[in-house]
Amino acid sequence: MSNNQHIERDQELLEGLANNDDKSLETIYSDNFPMIYRMVLQNNGSEADAKDLFQESVIILYEKVQEGGFVLTSKLKTYIYAVCRRIWLKKLQGQAWQGSITEELEAITPVEDTIEEAEKRDEQYGIMEKAMSHMGEPCKTILEDYYIHKRSMQEISEKFGYTNSENAKNQKYKCLMRLKKLFFAQYK
Amino acid sequence: MNDIHLIQEIERYLAGEMSTLEAAAFESKRRTNPEVDQQVVEHQLLVKQLEAFGNRKNLLGKLNAIHEKTDLHDLRAEFAPKTAKIRYMNRRTITAIAAAACVALVTSLSTIAIMQKAAKKSTTAQYESVRRELNNVRASTNEIIEKITPKKGAPLNPGNYGGTCFAINRYGYMLTNRHVIGGADSIYIQNNKGEVFKAISVFEDISSDLAVIRIADSSFRSAALPYSLKPQSVRLGEEVFTMGFPRDEVVYGKGYISAQTGFNGDTITYQVSIPVLPGNSGAPLLDNRGQVVGIIAGRQRASDGIAFAVKSANLKRLLDEMPKESISKKGKKDIKSNTASLEGLNREDQLKKLEDYVYMVKVYKATK
Repeated sequence: MSNNQHIERDQELLEGLANNDDKSLETIYSDNFPMIYRMVLQNNGSEADAKDLFQESVIILYEKVQEGGFVLTSKLKTYIYAVCRRIWLKKLQGQAWQGSITEELEAITPVEDTIEEAEKRDEQYGIMEKAMSHMGEPCKTILEDYYIHKRSMQEISEKFGYTNSENAKNQKYKCLMRLKKLFFAQYK
Repeated sequence: MNDIHLIQEIERYLAGEMSTLEAAAFESKRRTNPEVDQQVVEHQLLVKQLEAFGNRKNLLGKLNAIHEKTDLHDLRAEFAPKTAKIRYMNRRTITAIAAAACVALVTSLSTIAIMQKAAKKSTTAQYESVRRELNNVRASTNEIIEKITPKKGAPLNPGNYGGTCFAINRYGYMLTNRHVIGGADSIYIQNNKGEVFKAISVFEDISSDLAVIRIADSSFRSAALPYSLKPQSVRLGEEVFTMGFPRDEVVYGKGYISAQTGFNGDTITYQVSIPVLPGNSGAPLLDNRGQVVGIIAGRQRASDGIAFAVKSANLKRLLDEMPKESISKKGKKDIKSNTASLEGLNREDQLKKLEDYVYMVKVYKATK
């Protein structure tokens, strides 16, 4: 495969990822997971570690492409590898893991900013996850249905048996206000 | 209620559902009321976070589903044999190491064995009797022998050995090492003045390596002995001296008792730090007072100045054991209970006196 073909294919995959295309996600998975699996297992990690690490890198990639304006400066494979390598190295250092780190792992990678960004997002994700977990039903589902799954208020009021969508709407606003309170209590 | 109304307005505004007039009114409200503006920003952020949260959750769900679907068998298999391979490699390494260790062990053990064998050999060889092979005097002495025993089956090719002996009484009895005169066909002794006497073996004791010889001429008398025998053992570090014939000239040597036992822990002898050479065998070892404390018998070949001397107690025992026919009571008494001594004299005078009682032994042996 020529370099151009590579770039083209990677770009298509990224677009697919941004548009929540399952096929692209599967392709990215099957293309890259074995590589990460090997890296982790060769560096003191388990299969579960490999899975978590790889998923983390895909999330980072996903959120970056969702944000828009993401330009891939290398092959997609190289990018994913670099991100995973960086995170894994950090994890190993955090564990004060004593032992030799594969020389390759120690190489300085240009994904430092990406990782920092990702860490920030992870933090926000954590706050939101916690806030959502504190939300009772039906609030949680209503919010998820409306803001995440983008369902119409009509659908939601039918699902929850509200007499009209106006009641559902009021309920949604109440829920959102509670979430807002919970979220900003944590979010600085 | 007010808040809900505001959120509703914000959502409608953000979604672009407001009419231009409404939007303009809302925007002016936002500009004039910072609280409203903050509410808008917060709402935007919250929704964005909520969406991001939902998207991530969604993605994670998908990824997990894919992971479930993915056949990891090959990948695991790739690692399983790899680890097995590593183990195999390790085993191979271990085998190699074990083999190397075995070789090293065998090598070192055999080396030790060989070394010990060699050491045994060399320790036996290290002990060297300090009798002398008198090759340099062979020619002239051969003539003497021939003169003494002309054509009467005298050894045609006599081996010649030399040592030292010293007088133990004034009747011509001498003490020397057994290894000096052992198996001799004839013994001659010679004093420092060059006088030669024929001697015969009177008594030999293999265990202590001592021998008593006597000047064949029974009418031989010397002056009274200037020294006596010290039957007690001497202490470590005590200074001793000797006189012997490693060459045709009497040679003086000085040293000290360096150990109470001799070669390989032999209790019959002392270890003496004293320079000795072949020919010193049978020489007396005296302490500063001039009492005989031992007889030089051998040395350690590898190291300089390590000699061995038979303890005087053995000499005393030898004299006690000697049968009457061999030596008279009077003859025994001389050295054992001599009152004369070299005590108080300086070393030169001691040696001057001692000199007359120390003889060179020349031994003739027929080589078969």
